Amino acid sequence: MIEVVAELSRGPVFLAGEALECVVTVTNPLPPTATSASSEALAWASAQIHCQFHASESRVALPPPDSSQPDVQPDSQTVFLPHRGERGQCILSTPPKILFCDLRLDPGESKSYSYSEVLPIEGPPSFRGQSVKYVYKLTIGCQRVNSPITLLRVPLRVLVLTGLQDVQFPQDEAVAPSSPFLEEDEGGKKDSWLAELAGERLMAATSCRSLHLYNISDGRGKVGTFGIFKSVYRLGEDVVGTLNLGEGTVACLQFSVSLQTEERVQPEYQRRRGTGGAPSVSHVTHARHQESCLHTTRTSFSLPIPLSSTPGFCTAIVSLKWRLHFEFVTSREPGLVLLPPMEQPEPATWTGPEQVPVDTFSWDLPIKVLPTSPTLASYAAPGPSTSTITI
Amino acid sequence: MIAVSTANGYILFFHIISSRGDKYLYEPVYPKGSPQMKGMPHFKEEQCAPALNLEMSKILDLQAPIMSLQSVLEDLLVATSDGFLHLIHWEGMTNGRKAINLCTVPFSVDLQSSRGSFLGFTDVHIRDMEYCATLDGFAVVFNDGKVGFITPVSSRFTAEQLHGVWPQDVVDGTCVAINNKYRLMAFGCASGSVQVYTIDNTTGAMLLSHKLELTAKQYPDIWNKTGAVKLIRWSPDNSVVIVTWEYGGLSLWSVFGAQLLCTLGGDFAYRSDGTKKDPLKINSMSWGAEGYHLWVISGFTSQPTDIDADIRNIVKQPSILLFQFIKSVLTVNPCMSNQEQVLLQGEDRLYLNCGEASQAQNPKSSSHSQLKPSREKSPFTDGGFESQGLSTLLGHRHWHVVQISSTYLESNWPIRFSAIDKLGQNIAVVGKFGFAHYSLLTKKWKLFGNITQEQNMIVTGGLAWWNDFMVLACYNISDRQEELRVYLRTSNLDNAFAHVTKAQAETLLLSVFRDMVIVFRADCSICLYSIERKSDGSNTTAGIQVLQEVSMSRYIPHPFLVVSVTLTSVSTENGITLKMPQQARDAESIMLNLAGQLIMMQRDRSGPQIREKDNNPNQRKLLPFCPPVVLAQSVENVWTTCRANKQKRHLLEALWLSCGGAGMKVWLPLFPRDHRKPHSFLSQRIMLPFHINIYPLAVLFEDALVLGAVNDTLLYDSLYTRNSAREHLEVLFPFCVVERTSQIYLHHILRQLLVRNLGEQALLLAQSCAALPYFPHVLELMLHEVLEEEATSREPIPDPLLPTVAKFITEFPLFLQTVVHCARKTEYALWNYLFAAVGNPKDLFEECLMAQDLDTAASYLIILQNMEVPAVSRQHATLLFNTALEQGKWDLCRHMIRFLKAIGSGDSETPPSTPTAQEPSSSGGFEFFRNRSISLSQSAENVPPSKFSLQKTLSMPSGPSGKRWSKDSDCAENMYIDMMLWRHARHLLEDVRLKDLGCFAAQLGFELISWLCKERTRAARVDNFVIALKRLHKDFLWPLPIIPASSINSPFKNGKYRTVGEQLLKSQAANPFLSLEIDTGISNIQRSQSWFSNIGPTHHEIDTASSHGPQMQDAFLSPLSKGDECSIGSATDLTESSSMVDGDWTMVDENFSTLSLTQSELEHISMELASKGPHKSQVQLRYLLHIFMEAGCLDWCIVIGLILRESSIISQVLTISQSSEVDGEMLQNIKTGLHAVDRWASTDCPGYKPFLNIIKPQLQKLSEITEEQVQPDAFQPAAMGKTSEQTSPRAEENRGSSCHGSIPQIEAGSNSVVSRKEEDITSGDEEEHFQDGTYDCSVS
Repeated sequence: MIEVVAELSRGPVFLAGEALECVVTVTNPLPPTATSASSEALAWASAQIHCQFHASESRVALPPPDSSQPDVQPDSQTVFLPHRGERGQCILSTPPKILFCDLRLDPGESKSYSYSEVLPIEGPPSFRGQSVKYVYKLTIGCQRVNSPITLLRVPLRVLVLTGLQDVQFPQDEAVAPSSPFLEEDEGGKKDSWLAELAGERLMAATSCRSLHLYNISDGRGKVGTFGIFKSVYRLGEDVVGTLNLGEGTVACLQFSVSLQTEERVQPEYQRRRGTGGAPSVSHVTHARHQESCLHTTRTSFSLPIPLSSTPGFCTAIVSLKWRLHFEFVTSREPGLVLLPPMEQPEPATWTGPEQVPVDTFSWDLPIKVLPTSPTLASYAAPGPSTSTITI
Repeated sequence: MIAVSTANGYILFFHIISSRGDKYLYEPVYPKGSPQMKGMPHFKEEQCAPALNLEMSKILDLQAPIMSLQSVLEDLLVATSDGFLHLIHWEGMTNGRKAINLCTVPFSVDLQSSRGSFLGFTDVHIRDMEYCATLDGFAVVFNDGKVGFITPVSSRFTAEQLHGVWPQDVVDGTCVAINNKYRLMAFGCASGSVQVYTIDNTTGAMLLSHKLELTAKQYPDIWNKTGAVKLIRWSPDNSVVIVTWEYGGLSLWSVFGAQLLCTLGGDFAYRSDGTKKDPLKINSMSWGAEGYHLWVISGFTSQPTDIDADIRNIVKQPSILLFQFIKSVLTVNPCMSNQEQVLLQGEDRLYLNCGEASQAQNPKSSSHSQLKPSREKSPFTDGGFESQGLSTLLGHRHWHVVQISSTYLESNWPIRFSAIDKLGQNIAVVGKFGFAHYSLLTKKWKLFGNITQEQNMIVTGGLAWWNDFMVLACYNISDRQEELRVYLRTSNLDNAFAHVTKAQAETLLLSVFRDMVIVFRADCSICLYSIERKSDGSNTTAGIQVLQEVSMSRYIPHPFLVVSVTLTSVSTENGITLKMPQQARDAESIMLNLAGQLIMMQRDRSGPQIREKDNNPNQRKLLPFCPPVVLAQSVENVWTTCRANKQKRHLLEALWLSCGGAGMKVWLPLFPRDHRKPHSFLSQRIMLPFHINIYPLAVLFEDALVLGAVNDTLLYDSLYTRNSAREHLEVLFPFCVVERTSQIYLHHILRQLLVRNLGEQALLLAQSCAALPYFPHVLELMLHEVLEEEATSREPIPDPLLPTVAKFITEFPLFLQTVVHCARKTEYALWNYLFAAVGNPKDLFEECLMAQDLDTAASYLIILQNMEVPAVSRQHATLLFNTALEQGKWDLCRHMIRFLKAIGSGDSETPPSTPTAQEPSSSGGFEFFRNRSISLSQSAENVPPSKFSLQKTLSMPSGPSGKRWSKDSDCAENMYIDMMLWRHARHLLEDVRLKDLGCFAAQLGFELISWLCKERTRAARVDNFVIALKRLHKDFLWPLPIIPASSINSPFKNGKYRTVGEQLLKSQAANPFLSLEIDTGISNIQRSQSWFSNIGPTHHEIDTASSHGPQMQDAFLSPLSKGDECSIGSATDLTESSSMVDGDWTMVDENFSTLSLTQSELEHISMELASKGPHKSQVQLRYLLHIFMEAGCLDWCIVIGLILRESSIISQVLTISQSSEVDGEMLQNIKTGLHAVDRWASTDCPGYKPFLNIIKPQLQKLSEITEEQVQPDAFQPAAMGKTSEQTSPRAEENRGSSCHGSIPQIEAGSNSVVSRKEEDITSGDEEEHFQDGTYDCSVS
């Protein structure tokens, strides 16, 4: 018996283009006191990162796949296919790297190998939507002699910051490093450079604040003013907005704001309606604020963007956009008296209306959601950062 | 029923009638076909206003203005301005009004003095009062500012039976508020402070508990300017109090006076343009359900400032404001206190500390904590979120915000309790009915499948997680039954999967300790249950069994007063020594927080001990409890853990208390050291108070950290111009978010222990925590605090603590560092005091050097420089500089150079001032240094010293390098520094540490070429080629060449090589003849020549002839082309070296093509190429080669050529060497060196042989050159040779590299004499070597 443990020390979230590092520890779990006959051997172990794409049949019309590419990957037992047995197609994979060959472990012995690979910068982000799924996995395949290959899958989450793809690492400026004795850790530098650049860009994009005001009116008049302070957010931030209903002429009984993502299949891949396909656009609500706001003059809301959600992106097949979806319930009767008359000399009983004819209308405000630092995003998923398999 | 008082002394009674069936108002009627959720079960409750009817039932005239109305059980107590107290029954208006004249109520300091004085004056009346149910009396404020507490002596409420107590010192009271749970009376005063009183149980006197005051330190500009306290309101859960003043502003305090929020602080008080805001004026306020909201009626008393007049006008009319708050779950569900997460609950969402997952991996990140009970947000705020850099991730401020399932919330608002499991992965919440739970992993809520079950269950006493189970105490509505239920998280939420136990009375509190559940019931008894997992087949449940019941009614006056009940392993006797094997300790005692009074009940072990031995496991648990002992007063929260850790017993077995404004307390166990008997006089636990700056919400036991949360205000004012601010009122309010904070406290505890002469305990405690990442900081903080206190004390301190602290810190290896860091953060004036306690800085400096802690030593240098004469600091600086050079601490070297110069200049001009001295080794110092060196260096403008490009280096004039460091190269300091640098470089070169030399030069911008030129014949000479070669191999990780098995055979099978062997024999035969002529001085050369001829024996004659020709030509040409500068640039005519000349020293390809190699040799070499070292080494070696080439250190070039195994280099070097300017000694040296290498290769490293064979033709050439050069010498007059020999060393000293080529003749002459002598000695070895060679060949 051999135990293989893969640990992503930094957490399971990475930025596309970053280097992933995984420590693979192979252990013979038997106590060292066991007889030497129980030493175990592995023929080889190899690791590879791949991105699996799966589209919902009913929503996405994919071009007929090659006959050689069945939806479910072949269940080959003797070839290292990282995506063996998974649904969908592998759209991206890094070259496989061999971790070790001919490893023999005595009882209690344990060996660790470090696997490092740069995540492809041009890939889609990890996303589990209604129409499509992009799932990244690090697969470690091991094989014992005369046994089928065992796969250990380590789920990853990849965030994509668009725009990073085009930026090249500044190839040693004009002032070439000079003396080769000056230590320069190229790889590490490049990695941190990318993270730094991403951080800067995110900061630049999301830290600028300016008040945007929107007048909200239905057919009969003004309901109020909506104010929002930013239009670009990072994962984990709160979307904060204010609503001023005091100046409106139409009474608003209730409003709700939902933070939603809109997943839209690109036109060329949309399955035609009428053929029984599901709608090509689907919405997911991530946070919601609802308030009864009769008589309210001003109010505000704060909706957290979950760290585990996927920032907006666009691929050839699908696009994901974020928006604030408002729903207002407004009174249909103009001049509805909502407060008892103040100057009544005689004592009288005043009763509010039992029923108010209302209209509902909705409004969408698109916002932009960008990724955040992968380390921060890792906090979204409490739990072990290790995966284990026993062969 | 509502009672309304009017200004003229009437009370209007209204009935509230909500009957009118299931009727609601404002029911929205949606247009037909709209997809609204009309069919939802709670549609009306959710969306409509309940239809209530107010009916006036009665009017009562009290004939005097009403000051205060209070509802006391069935009665209404009214205080009027004529000094009467009226007791009116709510229902029975005819109940016979009771009016009590205040003048008839006796007041005294306590209840024991039976006869009190009366309020003598007739115009005394009550201004404000509030009834306290748990004390059964009224807290009153009189119109003259006196405050008091009136209580009925007996159960009858008549004038005769009333008695009042009052504190003597309060004469400016304005208002009062009562906290029933903690039995506190908060009196607001005209001074702006709130005095909180409690009643002494025994005497009945009023005791001051604490004060709520803004401090002058925190609020310098508003302290004492708030006006009188206007309103005080305790939150419904009795855990916080909100206070507002006459001039506006809000402040929030915990029960025992820890300030949580104040809107008068800087965040709220100012606009970004610096103008002061008018604080929010509050006319009235009230808490909403569960304390999530504060409803405020604001009144902006118009006092318009000039700019804001129009804004004021808009807001002037009173409005209702709603403030939202979130609170820690500890306030309502204290069983969470043995957990280490911070969980805050808001009206519709939970805030969770989300650093937990990483905590295990990264101890530093465990400091992440979370929010706090006071998220405050005004509904008119503006929003946005603070931008946050990625660099702050480690201390990230984010938290999980979990929105509570709206489905659950709709029918069960508000959330009352919540709890999180130990791993921080599952949360459960309890609303009005039932409960729901959420998994952070799957991000899914689990609700009751059967709504009826949910609606039939009211959780009464909190909930707790036990592994995968939730334990709740609830009331079953349908069965009218108090129950204890256990639900499994993984199964469906349904009573079918629950384990239900009936309880005798309503459960008020519940908590879990290991496998025990402890509940506190409304009948004032405590019940212990055991809980265990049961799985029968697929069905897993947990079973609960009663273990023990303890009645507490004797000690608890009212069950409502109990704040928390926990079971702990803490006991007064540790019983066991520190070394004793630690089994999980049992539930030793019950901790009960009774209205802030922490009571402990231990198990009574005084009974017969036989019980302990009893095998029945339940027997021991049934040990009775001792009578309660009061541990502490004013306790808000208690933290203990049931975990055990042998290494950190101090921290884990301690009891942590938060005491509001008084900070925290720890009840620390004291362990006898070793196995010694505990001192009988030493108590086994000690209560230590300590102050922290945050409000504690969780204690991380092992990490010695306290987590908390603070309210952080974001100002959006700055976003707008004044114009837009006028338009948008949002800007008037700050937006508040809650930030997580954390704090270390260890230094307080250590210090307290030291003060109490418990140094041994302090040491044990500190040692157990020494691995914490912030432990150095702890020591530093402790030293710093004690130093500041004692050094700045006005009066002499009889028993100073500083020496003790210093001695304590010496116990840790961090001592040196701690002291110097502390000194650097203290002002200079205190240094003498500090070092008087910790020791002489000179000694400490030397200790650092000995400990190889150079950075710390550098810090001490700053101290020394300020405390000692310049000579001393310079001496120490030199010492440090040399050590730093030796260890390759380049940054430090740069600092030191800068430092030495600073003190140097100070030496000659002014004494060094403190600021300049501190700068160089501060982190910013390097920047300064760098800038300066750039601006001063003429040779490397615009290039930072750390980035000298090769081009620059090469083009640099090889003048004296001293110029680099200063404007005035004559400056003695710079000379001094240069001398040291030179010395170090020489030292490195002599030790053949080329790699270090390269680093040294690159890091410090040391100009190698010019220096090498000077040292060419001294330090830069290669004395032993073999050692140099070996060393380079080692330093540059360059593998020694190996001959592959096949290639060993192939060359010798080759017919060509066979002839070599023959030639060798022949030449050897010739040697004896030649060796006879050693004295002539030619023999060596000839011999070597013949030896070299082995390489290309067939071409021997031609080679010799041809080499003579070009060599002669070069000798004439090169001086012309080269001029003064020693550069390889002139060698452009040499095809082999053309690539080198271009400066492309990184070129990797070999120019073998120019050599006439046979196929087999090519193969051979290509195989050897595989055994090259790392690319980086190759680049570095080539760089060095270039430097050496430039500096004319040809012997080094040869060595590098050898290691790189590139014959092109060798031949290039040799070509250069053919120029007459190269001195003969060097050639000689090269020659002998190569001989030595060849010998070594033959014996130890045959891998080199093939390469040596390849370069043989060149070497042969070399020997001819040397011969050439030596031969002319022979014609020189002997006398001249001798004089030059004597003078040359000195001449060399002064001769710059520039004049290098000018005296080749003399050089050659003098060197030849020397070399001859050397050859004498070595010739013997060479003889042997030749025999070896022969032997090799013959074997093959």
